[in-house]
Amino acid sequence: MSAPISTEPLDTYTLNMGPQHPSTHGVLRLKLTLRGERLVAVEPIIGYSHRAHEKMAENRSYAQFLPNTSRQDYLSGMIYNFAWVEAVEKLAGIAVPERALVARVILAEFNRISSHLLWIGAFLLDLGAATPFLYTFDDREAIVFLLESVTGSRLTYCTGRFGGLAKDLDADFPRRARAVLAKLKARWPELVDLIEDNVIFLQRTRGVGVITLEQCRTWGVTGPMLRACGVPYDIRKVEPYGAYPRFQFDIPTRPEGDVFARYMVRILEMAQSVRIIEQALEALPEGPILAAGSSGVKKRLKPPVGTQYYAVESARGAYGILIVSEGGTEPYRAKFRTPSYANLAVMQDVMPGTMVADAVAILGSTDIVLPEIDR
Amino acid sequence: MAAPAELAAVLESRGWTAEPATAHPVSGVAESRWVAPGNLVAAAEAAKEAGYFLESMTCVDRLDPHGVFELLYTFNRWDAPARVAYRVWVPKDVAVPTLSGVYGIAAWNEREAWELFGVAFAGHPNLTWLLLPEGTEFRPLLKSFTQPPPSIYDDSLTASP
Repeated sequence: MSAPISTEPLDTYTLNMGPQHPSTHGVLRLKLTLRGERLVAVEPIIGYSHRAHEKMAENRSYAQFLPNTSRQDYLSGMIYNFAWVEAVEKLAGIAVPERALVARVILAEFNRISSHLLWIGAFLLDLGAATPFLYTFDDREAIVFLLESVTGSRLTYCTGRFGGLAKDLDADFPRRARAVLAKLKARWPELVDLIEDNVIFLQRTRGVGVITLEQCRTWGVTGPMLRACGVPYDIRKVEPYGAYPRFQFDIPTRPEGDVFARYMVRILEMAQSVRIIEQALEALPEGPILAAGSSGVKKRLKPPVGTQYYAVESARGAYGILIVSEGGTEPYRAKFRTPSYANLAVMQDVMPGTMVADAVAILGSTDIVLPEIDR
Repeated sequence: MAAPAELAAVLESRGWTAEPATAHPVSGVAESRWVAPGNLVAAAEAAKEAGYFLESMTCVDRLDPHGVFELLYTFNRWDAPARVAYRVWVPKDVAVPTLSGVYGIAAWNEREAWELFGVAFAGHPNLTWLLLPEGTEFRPLLKSFTQPPPSIYDDSLTASP
């Protein structure tokens, strides 16, 4: 008996990348179809860290869900934690003291810088440059240490409370925060020398992985990836929330849409975050951090019937929370619109046609966090 | 790019909107319209033409007491607050036309709604598991779902004490 002869053309082959490849930052599998060294098709396979946060939200009270929030995106967990708190505050009509509003901005922006620093170090490591990783992790450690002194956590923060924060910033916090900012600012010229003046880095990133505006629109790309295509879309500006409207800052954009543009946008964004923190430290009002007599974690919190969509700008893009309340103590449904989800999905469209050697550079430039995609 | 009110007006003038199926309000959006499943693709094309991207899609289990799923699509664009919600009321076992031909990201959103709720999407190019393991037979986000069946990979449930 002879085996049937395949009539499939043999000019393409499949390469499996992941789910433990270091550049996938979490667990992502990419099924690459190659013709020679050129990618023909890319299929991201996700779900390895699916923990059913959306189901968990339906099975516990609004306050009990708080620790879950920062576990979606462990690199900018503060922003995700505050997003949940603010969405519920909006749904239930809870007032927040001024001091808490400004303190949230300070903590969230510090977390944004630490997320970007980690990305820069890890991305350069993906490209084979080991040294910048040591520099950015040194800087990031100063921020993590500062946030730990306020929240008690290094990564998965849970300091937001409905109506304020769990713990007040201590009297010495502004001094320590300014010292961290000074350290960051002193380090940046060195990073520029180390990275942007490096010809290998430039050749591996310039003109590579260009995303068009049409692709951004059909896939819903947001955040630094969209801003690297020249669109100044930032939720902090277009849909201002919390204390952001009272601070001056710009939205850095780059027109090229390539890997280098995404790198530059994040570098420039860190400077803007520093600018926001400096103003917020000046403007930090005295007063309570949580409404008087409130624990911030009311057990019987029952928001009125309704659906609330609430969006914030995370370090990765537009993060949206949709809460459906039927008037009970638990959400009837919670949906998390995570930015990396769309930013990874667009790769199916962007990566075909590029060289396999650029796959790591393009994928790395998206700054995806898989637990945030899988939820 | 058209403002939310203009997009809503386009939908209404072409008769693509449907009667509100429930009084449940949606906030955080500039405009919200009910769309019949049959008009969904045309309405999404109108949104895309007007410069909107598909921001999110949420499926809500309203089987008890309505016997339907509510699909809530939000669209947004890159300037001032412009979120538009389309709400679709889908009877159980009725397939919804896929939006994956209009918006690429819809393919993933719909796979999620299919695996977590069991909503079928007509014309979807690859309606298969996205987040759950391949071959999962239960629909975990249904309100009727309480506990997964024992997994063959998990011996902690069957191990003798």
